[in-house]
Amino acid sequence: MKNGKKLLALLLAGSMTLSLAACGSSAPAESDNASTDTAATETAATDEAATETASTGLDTSERVDLVFYVMGDAPADEAVVEDALNEKLLERFNATVDFQFSTWTDFQQKYSLELTSGGADLIYVANWLNFKQLAKDGAFLELNDLLDNYGQDLKALIGDDQLNACSVNGQIYAIPNCWPEYVSSGIKYREDLRAAYDLPVPDSLENVEAYLSGIKENLPDQGLLTSTTEESTGLQVAFDAAWLLNLKYSSVTTNGLPYGLNALYDSPSDVYDYWFSDDFVEDCKLMKKWADMGFWSRSALSDTNDSEAFTNGLCVMEPQGQNPSKYITSVSTFADAGQGWEAAYIAYGEVNGVIYPGHATQNGTSIVRGSKNPERAMAVLQAFMTDKELNELVQCGIEGTHYTINDEGFYETITDDTGAAAFGYEGFSTWNLRNTEYKLISKNDALLQEIFNKYQALGEKTKFPNIDIYSGFAEDYSGYDAERTAVSNVMRQYLAPLQAGLVSDVDAAVEEFRTKATEAGLEKVREGFKAQWIAYCDEYGYK
Amino acid sequence: MAIRKGPSQIIFNIVSYTLLALMSIICVIPFVMILSGSFTDNHTILTQGYSLLPRDFSVEAYKTVFKAPEDILQAYKMTFFYTGLGTFLGLIMITLTAYVISRKEFKYRNTVSFIIYFTSIFGGGTIPWYLMYSQVLQAKGTTFAIWFPALMSPFLVILMRTFIMGSVPDAITESAKIDGAGHVTIFMRIVMPVLGPGLATIGLFLALGYWNDWYRSSMFSTDSSTWELQFYLYDLLNASTAIKQMSQNSSISTAELPTQSVKLAMAVVSTGPVLLFYPFVQKYFVSGITVGAVKG
Repeated sequence: MKNGKKLLALLLAGSMTLSLAACGSSAPAESDNASTDTAATETAATDEAATETASTGLDTSERVDLVFYVMGDAPADEAVVEDALNEKLLERFNATVDFQFSTWTDFQQKYSLELTSGGADLIYVANWLNFKQLAKDGAFLELNDLLDNYGQDLKALIGDDQLNACSVNGQIYAIPNCWPEYVSSGIKYREDLRAAYDLPVPDSLENVEAYLSGIKENLPDQGLLTSTTEESTGLQVAFDAAWLLNLKYSSVTTNGLPYGLNALYDSPSDVYDYWFSDDFVEDCKLMKKWADMGFWSRSALSDTNDSEAFTNGLCVMEPQGQNPSKYITSVSTFADAGQGWEAAYIAYGEVNGVIYPGHATQNGTSIVRGSKNPERAMAVLQAFMTDKELNELVQCGIEGTHYTINDEGFYETITDDTGAAAFGYEGFSTWNLRNTEYKLISKNDALLQEIFNKYQALGEKTKFPNIDIYSGFAEDYSGYDAERTAVSNVMRQYLAPLQAGLVSDVDAAVEEFRTKATEAGLEKVREGFKAQWIAYCDEYGYK
Repeated sequence: MAIRKGPSQIIFNIVSYTLLALMSIICVIPFVMILSGSFTDNHTILTQGYSLLPRDFSVEAYKTVFKAPEDILQAYKMTFFYTGLGTFLGLIMITLTAYVISRKEFKYRNTVSFIIYFTSIFGGGTIPWYLMYSQVLQAKGTTFAIWFPALMSPFLVILMRTFIMGSVPDAITESAKIDGAGHVTIFMRIVMPVLGPGLATIGLFLALGYWNDWYRSSMFSTDSSTWELQFYLYDLLNASTAIKQMSQNSSISTAELPTQSVKLAMAVVSTGPVLLFYPFVQKYFVSGITVGAVKG
C-alpha cells in the first residue's frame, strides 16, 4: 500500500512537471522549429541553385504532389477538375495539386491547425484570417527569392505596389489576386418607392430623413429600417443605423477608427476624438429624433438581424453591411420576383469622397513554411494565375461540362435539373487566383464592373488614389486586451441605446457613456491603438 | 391494507402532477415548433413568425431536403456505420478494461485506474490531439480517425467498473475460481450475464455520442462522402452564415442558401431516429445510471 502511494505521488509529480515543461517550452520550441525550417529552406535554396546552374530553371526530375488549402466546401466535381488540372501540371511541372477544403465549420481553428501541422504547400490567405499577424509569427515562407527565380511573370503581373502591401518587415509573404474589387459600403434603398412618391435620393442625412418620412407618410404600415445591433458588433459603432453617419464624415475607413477615435482619409495619422466631441452629441440627438419619428422599432436593441428583410419588403433601406455585389444580388432577386420592386445603391464614398478597392491582403496565396517543395509550388501558382487555360480551368471548371459562354459572351454555370452545379463559379473558392484579364464574367459581373469603373474614377481623385489604408493595418491588442473587452461591453450597454436613440435624455446618457467608457480603461486602449496606428501610417507614408 | 390518502396527499398529487405536466409541456413545445415550422411555407415564417400549428401547410421544405437525397443518405449511412462499429468495439474494450481493473487480485489495478482517471482531468489539448492523428498516425481523411478516437472514455470505464463491482459479488467469482474457472470463463459466464443494464447504458452513451458527433468529421474528413450526418447538417448552416458574412467584404458567388423552413426540416430529419429509438432503451438507461451511481 505504502509503495502504491509512493508510486502515485511520483506519477503525479512526474506528470505535473511534464505538463509544466510542455507549457513552458512550447514557445521556444516553435521558434526553434522556425529557425531550423529557415535553415532547411536555405540549404534547399543552395541545392536548388546548384541544380539550376545545371539545367537553368526548375528542377522537375521528381514528381511532387502539392496540397492547396482553401476555404469553404468542396464542389461535387472536385476530382474531375483536379484530374484535368493535374494532367496539364504533370506535363509541365511534373507536379499534381490536391485541393483541400476547410469547410465553413470551425474554419478559423482548422486554418491555424493546418498551419501548425504544415500539411499544405499553398494556402489561401486573407486579412480576415489574420494574415499579417500569422506572417509576423512566421507561418509563411518569404517569397522574394522564389518570385525572382521561379515567378518573374507573376511578379510582373501583380506589380510591386500590390506585393509591398502584402509584405511584413520588407519580406513578401503573399501573392494577392489581381482584380481590383470595390467593396465600398453604402446604402441600398428602394428606387421604385422613391420615384413613386417623388422623394430625394438618400445622399445626405437630410435626404435620408426626407426619404424615410416620405415613405412613412404615404405607406404608414411599411417597415422602414430593420436596424439591429448585429451588424455593428465591432469597436466602431454599436447600432446599425449609425452607419448612416458615414454620409457626414470622410473617415479613413467606414465608421471611423475604433474606440471612438477618428481620422480623415486625407490625414490618416491625424487622429482625433469623436466620442468626446460636440459632433457626437449632435449625432446622438439626430438618432433620437429619428427613433422618435419611428424609423426603427422600439425593440431594435434586442431584435435579431433578418438579412432577408430587404428582399421580403420588410424594410426600405439597408445602411449597414452592404456592398456593390450585394446590391447586384438584390437587383436580380427583385427582377426574378417580378413585383415591380427596384433596388438602388449609393456608396458612402460617392458622397464623402473616400473610395478605394479592397486591400491587397483581401484575397491572396502564400506558401506554408515547412512546405517541402516551395519552388514547384511557386511555379504552379504562377501558372494558375498567368496561364489563361489553367486559370479558366481552376476558376470555372471545364467548358461544356461545368459552364458555357452564351451568345452575349457571358459566363453561365451549367446546373442539373435540381438546380445544383457540379462545379460553380470559382468552385474551388480560389478568390485568390483572380486575374482581371482572364476572368470569365457573368451578366451580373458586367453590371458590377460598370459600378467599379465609376468608383475607380472617383478613387483616382482622392489624396491616396485607390488605396485602402485601414485594411492593411493589423492591430496587436495583447497589451490591453482586458480593457478592450471592457470598452466593448460598455459600447454594447451604453453606446447602443444612444445610437439607437432609445434614451430619454441624450445629454445625460452621453455623460454616463463617457464616464463608463473612461472607467473601463478607454485611455489605455486608445494610447495603445494610436501608437500602433501612427507607426503604421509612418511606415507606409500615409501622412 | 391500503394506505389511506389524506387530503394533504391528494393536494401533493395535484400539485406535483400539474408541475410535471407543465414541465413536460415546456420540453415538448420547442419540438412542436420545429415540426410545425418545417411544414410551414417559408414566406409565412419570415413575415409572421413561428407558430404551434402550421399556418400555411407546405411540404416544400422536405421536397428540397430530399430533392438530392444522395448526400443526406450517404451521411446517414456513414453515421450508422460509425455508430454501429464504434458502439460495438467500444463496448468490448470498455467492458474488458473495466473487468480487469475491477479484479482485486490485479496488483496494479489502482495505478491503472488512476492512469485512466487522470486523462479525464488532464488532456493533451486540441493541437497535440490533432497532430497525433494527422501527422503521427497519418489518419487524416480516413474513416478510422472518425470512429477510433471515441471508442473509450474514462468516465464510461469507471462507470462500468463500478457496475461490475456492484453486481458481481466476490464470493461468486471466488467459488467459480475454486471450481476451476479461468478469467475468460468468469467473464463470459458469470459477469456478462448480469451486465445487461450496464451494457445498455454504456451502449446508449456511446451510441448517442457517435450519433451526435460532428467535430471529428470537421477535423479529419477531407471528402464529403465520409461526413457524419450531424456534420453534414451543421456545415450546411455554417456555410450559409459564413457566405453571408463573407459577401460583406468581397464579391463571391452565393449559391442558393437554405431557407428557414429547410433548416427546420433538416433538424427533424436528423433527430427523428434518435427520438424513435430513445424510449425503447430508456428504461435501461435510467436503471443503469442509478445502479452505477448508488453503489459507487
